[in-house]
Amino acid sequence: MKARLATFGDFKCAHCRVIVPSVHLVSGVNNRNHCPYCLWSCHLDLYAAGDRLSACKAPMKPIGLTLKAGRKKYQREARGELMLIHQCTECRALSINRIAADDDSETVLAVFQESLALAHQMHILCEENGIVMLKAGDAKIVYTQLYGYQAEIPMISWA
Amino acid sequence: MNTNDKRSSPAHEDDIGVVFRKNLGHYTVHANGREIDCSLSSLLHKQLIFPTADPTSLRHTVQDVREIHHVDPVAVGDRVRYVEAEEGRGMIVEVLPRNSKLSRPAPVPSQRVFEQVIVSNADLILPVFTVANPTPKWALLDRYLVSAAAAEIPVLIVINKLDLAWKNPSFDEEIEIYRRIGYPVLLVSAATGEGIEELKQTLHGKQSVMVGKSGVGKTSLLNAIQPGLGQRVRAVGNGKFGKGRHTTTHLEMFELDFGGTLVDTPGIREFGLWNIMADELAYFFPEMAGYIGQCKFGMSCHHDLEPGCAIRKAVMAEAISPYRYQSYMNLRGEL
Repeated sequence: MKARLATFGDFKCAHCRVIVPSVHLVSGVNNRNHCPYCLWSCHLDLYAAGDRLSACKAPMKPIGLTLKAGRKKYQREARGELMLIHQCTECRALSINRIAADDDSETVLAVFQESLALAHQMHILCEENGIVMLKAGDAKIVYTQLYGYQAEIPMISWA
Repeated sequence: MNTNDKRSSPAHEDDIGVVFRKNLGHYTVHANGREIDCSLSSLLHKQLIFPTADPTSLRHTVQDVREIHHVDPVAVGDRVRYVEAEEGRGMIVEVLPRNSKLSRPAPVPSQRVFEQVIVSNADLILPVFTVANPTPKWALLDRYLVSAAAAEIPVLIVINKLDLAWKNPSFDEEIEIYRRIGYPVLLVSAATGEGIEELKQTLHGKQSVMVGKSGVGKTSLLNAIQPGLGQRVRAVGNGKFGKGRHTTTHLEMFELDFGGTLVDTPGIREFGLWNIMADELAYFFPEMAGYIGQCKFGMSCHHDLEPGCAIRKAVMAEAISPYRYQSYMNLRGEL
């Protein structure tokens, strides 16, 4: 979550107060839009990603995970990369954001686990916005996307 | 005219005129139907300091002389007092008080920032934009509108190249933002002549100035308003964004046949705000002015991240355009 919003440069997370660098070499993404430690974001975009037209500017909480719609015909998985779902704590707007290379994998898993306990209405709200939130049955996809195909999935109760 | 004549009749050789053109230290002053090519007195670059210890003293001895640092003490539109040296030539010795001035920080690399008066004594500012070719940059229009509001000069937004409306399908939606705020907008086409008569009526009897980036058709409009002028115009480049080429290279004021004057300016690429405080910026956005003071932090609110900001709430309620709010934030970041 950005404390200063006017630039695309380094920022101090207003949620966990850590200074976050936005260097492409570290994050692997061109536009850093959430803190890699707590995964919170800030409601800055209104119509399109990066337009910076929102006046809300409230913190956005990571509420779950989804998959980007894949466009490659012959890719191994039918669906694309793992994405975070953020919800604005003030106006309840939803957005999806790419996971950066240095995002904390354990926190991403924790977000996924917490999302399994979300009310059914939240899943419906996501679907109304064209977002399919990952459910318990998608644990293998989440794990392999975070740790690779060779990694073993630990015995975790996802329910 | 010899020196003795000057001393005996000072009222006759000091005349008042209006600066119509300036170019490389030469100022063309119009006075009594004549054009006088003037230079500038060095006194206009200096400030004479008199002793203040005894205000009743009859002796006015200059104590000190300070250099005044400005780009140019004389602007087009200024009413000046000049001394005529020979037929058609003279020297400007005084700039008379200005009714209004449109200024910007001079775009010259320097440690100190100097004021550059683009035009003075203007009654109307015409920010000229296009429907397309070049693509309109509304953030630049917001800069002009703020500067005009700060200078307390009325504006008329002129949108040229109406004949190219098919190239920009979102134009109507974009210009509607300004209409809703209450800014007068005039759609014209220098190529087809549409809206030119209405523009002429608006310019009648006023000292107006056209501002805008290169290629928007300021000089083409001038030629359409007064065909006899025949000022040089060029087509915009063929690049993706249709950027204009710098055709007009100096500032000049033209006398209009139907009454009034119009200043044609070269394309302005950079237009910073001059002498505007960050805290007063919202007053120059008419749609925001009504919300000032209603924020949780009252007059201390920066309308950025503060909770309970009335302006941000108004943006979210769609009472204020998010594009205008973004312009406000960008301008505030510069001040």
